[in-house]
Amino acid sequence: MIRVTSLRKTFVGLHGTVRALQGIDLDVREGEFCVLLGASGCGKTTTLRCVAGLERPEEGEIEIGGTLVSSPAKRIFVPTEKRDISMVFQSYAIWPHMDVFHNVAFPLTQGYRRVARNQVAEKVRQALRLVRLDGLEDRPATDLSGGQQQRVAMARAMVTEPKILLMDEPLSNLDARLREQMRVELKKITKAIGVTTLYVTHDQAEALSLGDKVCVMDGGEILQVAPPNEVYARPASLFVAQFVGEMNFVKGKVAGPAQVECALGTLAIPVPAGLSAASPVTLAIRPEHVKLDSADRSPVSLTGSITTKNYLGDTALLEVEVNGVSLLVKLPGDAEFSVGQKTAVTLPLDRWRVFPG
Amino acid sequence: MKAETGYESTLDTGTFVSRLKPQGVTLFATGLSGFLLLLIGLPVAMVVLMSFRTGFPGENVPFTLQNFATVYLTQRTYEVLLNTVIFTVSSVAVTLVIAVPLVWILMRTDVPLKKTIYVLLTVGILIPVFLRTIAWILLLSPRIGLVNKWLQQWLDLAGPPLNLYSLPGMAFVQGVSFVPGAFFMLAAAYRSMDPSLEEAAYTAGVGKLRTFLKINIPITLPAIAAVMVYLLMTGIAVFEVPAIIGLPARILVLSSLIYTSTTPSTGLPDYGVAGAYGAVMLALGLVLAFLYVRIVKQGKKYTVITGRGYRPREIALGRWKWAALAFVFFYLSIEVFIPFVVLLWASLLPYLQLPSAEALSSLTLKHYIDIPSHVGVRPFINTLILMFTVPTLTMVVSVLVSWIVIRSQVSFRGFLDTLAFIPHAVPGILMAVGLAYLGLAYRDYFPLYGTIFIIVIAHTINWIAYGTRTTNSVMIQVHRELEEAGRVSGASAPRVLGKIVLPLIAAGVLNSWIWIGMLSYREVTMSLTLLTRGNVVVSTVVWQFWGSGWVPQVSALGVILILFAVVVVGTLRFAFAKLGEVGGTS
Repeated sequence: MIRVTSLRKTFVGLHGTVRALQGIDLDVREGEFCVLLGASGCGKTTTLRCVAGLERPEEGEIEIGGTLVSSPAKRIFVPTEKRDISMVFQSYAIWPHMDVFHNVAFPLTQGYRRVARNQVAEKVRQALRLVRLDGLEDRPATDLSGGQQQRVAMARAMVTEPKILLMDEPLSNLDARLREQMRVELKKITKAIGVTTLYVTHDQAEALSLGDKVCVMDGGEILQVAPPNEVYARPASLFVAQFVGEMNFVKGKVAGPAQVECALGTLAIPVPAGLSAASPVTLAIRPEHVKLDSADRSPVSLTGSITTKNYLGDTALLEVEVNGVSLLVKLPGDAEFSVGQKTAVTLPLDRWRVFPG
Repeated sequence: MKAETGYESTLDTGTFVSRLKPQGVTLFATGLSGFLLLLIGLPVAMVVLMSFRTGFPGENVPFTLQNFATVYLTQRTYEVLLNTVIFTVSSVAVTLVIAVPLVWILMRTDVPLKKTIYVLLTVGILIPVFLRTIAWILLLSPRIGLVNKWLQQWLDLAGPPLNLYSLPGMAFVQGVSFVPGAFFMLAAAYRSMDPSLEEAAYTAGVGKLRTFLKINIPITLPAIAAVMVYLLMTGIAVFEVPAIIGLPARILVLSSLIYTSTTPSTGLPDYGVAGAYGAVMLALGLVLAFLYVRIVKQGKKYTVITGRGYRPREIALGRWKWAALAFVFFYLSIEVFIPFVVLLWASLLPYLQLPSAEALSSLTLKHYIDIPSHVGVRPFINTLILMFTVPTLTMVVSVLVSWIVIRSQVSFRGFLDTLAFIPHAVPGILMAVGLAYLGLAYRDYFPLYGTIFIIVIAHTINWIAYGTRTTNSVMIQVHRELEEAGRVSGASAPRVLGKIVLPLIAAGVLNSWIWIGMLSYREVTMSLTLLTRGNVVVSTVVWQFWGSGWVPQVSALGVILILFAVVVVGTLRFAFAKLGEVGGTS
């Protein structure tokens, strides 16, 4: 549905030029929920705005539903209003001079995808029901809470039954509890109507829970495109590993074809192709994969001592020092460990990831 | 994408943490309120007082309603009121028709030469209104107007086709003069508008023109309404155009009527009648000010929804670029170029005439060389005194008032803020008449009548409203915690004001200091009302020359006045470029 090829965009600012996009390639299939994930300034919003036609890229092509909408080389640029898209903005962009009904009805009565006058009210009602705001039609936009504005923005985007929905950090202005609630609802709604979605966020939990596909971005490039579980389990690079979820990192060097030497000893882990002996690597393991056992006295396991304990209710985060390396450990429930305690530490070899550098 | 992780900006002044020693600050705030009440209240009280008295100021006569009877039982008063309404409303109409598209073109499109246009708009503010009015008389007067003469020659007409000496003529000149001010007020509203409100319309499939009509215009409507009411308020108060064009044509409005009552060409000044006229003017001003405050408050509701992830986007005009540029330059030529060129032309000729070989051969710099001997040194010194003392006094008072209003928890800070806003509602000419009455009737207690300092006081009162508005907004931008950190570090309240607040607001304060200095420099209404032999300033000299019909001399002095203003602001802007937008209107 959305195909982006070698997209490039440069901003000329007061302090020199910023290369916001450096060749973005992206393919979102029909009905797919694709998340662009990255830190501030990584180019994710710029990518989205290029798809929307709110930014003009200098290079590359954008295709929406099989139609070429942007190609500087072919001198094609379809203006935003003529693209078959809808968008939810970070600030919601609810027009303050209209009530809820007129905000939602606007695309139907004024837009390129206008419908017959007698259908407007019914469609608006349907859209509001979808976001569970039915009955608030006459409310002035300025009288709505943040969460309600968010829903109006969603309804306005859905009312034209678009093929493609673009969302720019739609949940970032909500408070934590509401955000999680809306996240679940958002997924339900988009799946229910089967809309193809391109979603921008800097929140990795949001990306993992919403996306059918997550694109991790940095410095105007896409670093990894994969389903959420794969991004989490097999990050493609050290950056992705650092950005998505928590991880323990240990410096080491290659000792053999499947051997890595580090402060924790020599570990039998496959090494990425192309790395010669003695080249530096970084080992990474998730905190939930580290195992602690105070009763274990077997000689193969390492011994560590608990240095801090952070009880979070459903989980406990512990820091364990092993051979001078501090490891973060995540245990479910209230762990029986206390600070200063000695314990055996098990690091399952198949859970380790190895990155060059 | 820089604003993505921005924090919620906490600008509310509602919650106050105790941070100042209450007694000291309250005492200071009380003193300041008392001082302002006296400064602003006394002249206004004088206007009311004189309306109940007959005779010369200071004469011991009983209170009477005679003045009101004289004024409100004559039909002429109502004709004047009607004139005032027609003049004000049509001036504001002219202004909005130009200013609204102008703002949209400059703030939202990719029209070229934006920087140059901004500079020229600033120059537009610096050209005194009375000089622009004179320039248009030189062009459109039925008797001496160059355009009229030229049209008569060219089309072989019997009489002059255009007549500036009419209500439409007055509204045209006044309306054009209001445009830069209206522009900068509206531009601020546009700047604070979240561009995603527009973008949401585009993504809803709506084109650019329809978006402008259905989204931009309605959203900025409160701002436009506020500017409109503000201009109506100003329109009732203005004096220069009604005096220069209206008086010779016998088209009177309230301000010129008050002026002729206190400064008649023959007979004794009648302050009582002026006070009675002033009462209606005062009432109108206060009503409009009240309306203005309400609209601004209502408008705030609209700006509650503001975006982050902010990136203003310009609309590509394409082929329409030239049409937009043509519109802008048409406006700039009637605002800046034509008046200046006419004055320059008139200043170089022995008498006003159409360009010709003969005219070119008689060009002379004589009128410039003669200025010192005609004018003397005194007016220049007086004007310099105004330019330095007025902004300094105004800004000192404004910073102190804003500090109390924005930062302290003193219970009557709202009253202080309202008090400082009142001079906006009271027409300058009334303030000046009130001060003149005060100086004449109570000369023992207030021995300033006839000195330059009474003008200094009039100007200071007049610009306290503007000064406090700008210091309020710059003070709000300084996050409260910066000050609290200073207090936590153990610094006293005055020390925090001096060492933390002042340095942070310096650029903004300096900016309005310069503007108030320039406004004082070009001001003529109050200076004229308070004019005696001893306190002549340059602007009143020009006025007197014009009254004597010395067209070339007026033009020469006018050209110098304009050039001086442009050079001063240009230099300061250049010199203080590092301090932010110094010299730009805020």
